[in-house]
Amino acid sequence: MNDRFNYSSSREAESAAKVQALEDLLIEKGVIGAETIDQVLGFFETQMGPFNGAKLVARAWLDPAFKQRLLQDTTAAIAELPFPPGMAGAEGEHMKIVENTPDVHNLIVCTLCSCYPWPTLGLPPYWYKDPTFRARAVREPRKVLEEFGLSIDPAVEIRIWDSSAQIRWFVLPERPAGTDALSEDELAALITPEAMMGVAKVKARAATSP
Amino acid sequence: MQTRFEHFAATSMLGEVDAPPRCDGTLAFQNEWERRAFGIGLALSKEGYFEWEDFRTELIAEIAAWEASHDLGDPSWHYYRCWLAALEKVMAKAGLLER
Repeated sequence: MNDRFNYSSSREAESAAKVQALEDLLIEKGVIGAETIDQVLGFFETQMGPFNGAKLVARAWLDPAFKQRLLQDTTAAIAELPFPPGMAGAEGEHMKIVENTPDVHNLIVCTLCSCYPWPTLGLPPYWYKDPTFRARAVREPRKVLEEFGLSIDPAVEIRIWDSSAQIRWFVLPERPAGTDALSEDELAALITPEAMMGVAKVKARAATSP
Repeated sequence: MQTRFEHFAATSMLGEVDAPPRCDGTLAFQNEWERRAFGIGLALSKEGYFEWEDFRTELIAEIAAWEASHDLGDPSWHYYRCWLAALEKVMAKAGLLER
């Protein structure tokens, strides 16, 4: 954790006590139930987030038939997995996945607005909404990727996919070498939102503990 | 299918000055009270005690007030303290602080 957030433990304690008092008051008044807050938070923590996209990718790596279906009709393939109903609705309903291969690297941007498949990828990183990032990613993708620490071989074609209100793209990244023994859950733990946007590769030894 | 309120609420802030801190596609909370405060704000608006946009207006005002009175690199910056101050204001307006 970052030291600069620990500069004032008394203010921390004060804020914590205040929030607790507010929640207690609301429950006492019957405004919210004891479970209400956890239900709201659960939406972000267990239903909508990058873990959904990671599950799809891990399944595709292990099951070639599922991968084919995912590439052909992403929305229908997503519906095969036991995701919460919101995954197939709202912003998640027009999703398409594109596959990285030895010859092609895919990068997702949105040059017009900030369409982002967040039921699958979670909340976008701050730079995704930055107009400079979007414009430069289209103009000079290789250079932008290098700034992300990702060097793409000149022989590999970079394809840019522009998300829109109609279609929200995400990337099926390459399975890293040395992961043959891993289970589906272990594989999913390696997959980051950045890899599913095409600004990173999946690494065999990412943090496997949460 | 209709957009869930939680989805709408989080999306409305993204890329704006009041966007919550994130890490790897998920909300980043340093402490449990921040998580609870986030949940209270969303839950009350979801239940209709105040409009989400009214809460955001207070939050943006709190952030602006902090920025006006601090150096932008000031390490005492704390998103969820602004959130909490905004939450108390909208709760007071909605009459939720009266016992």
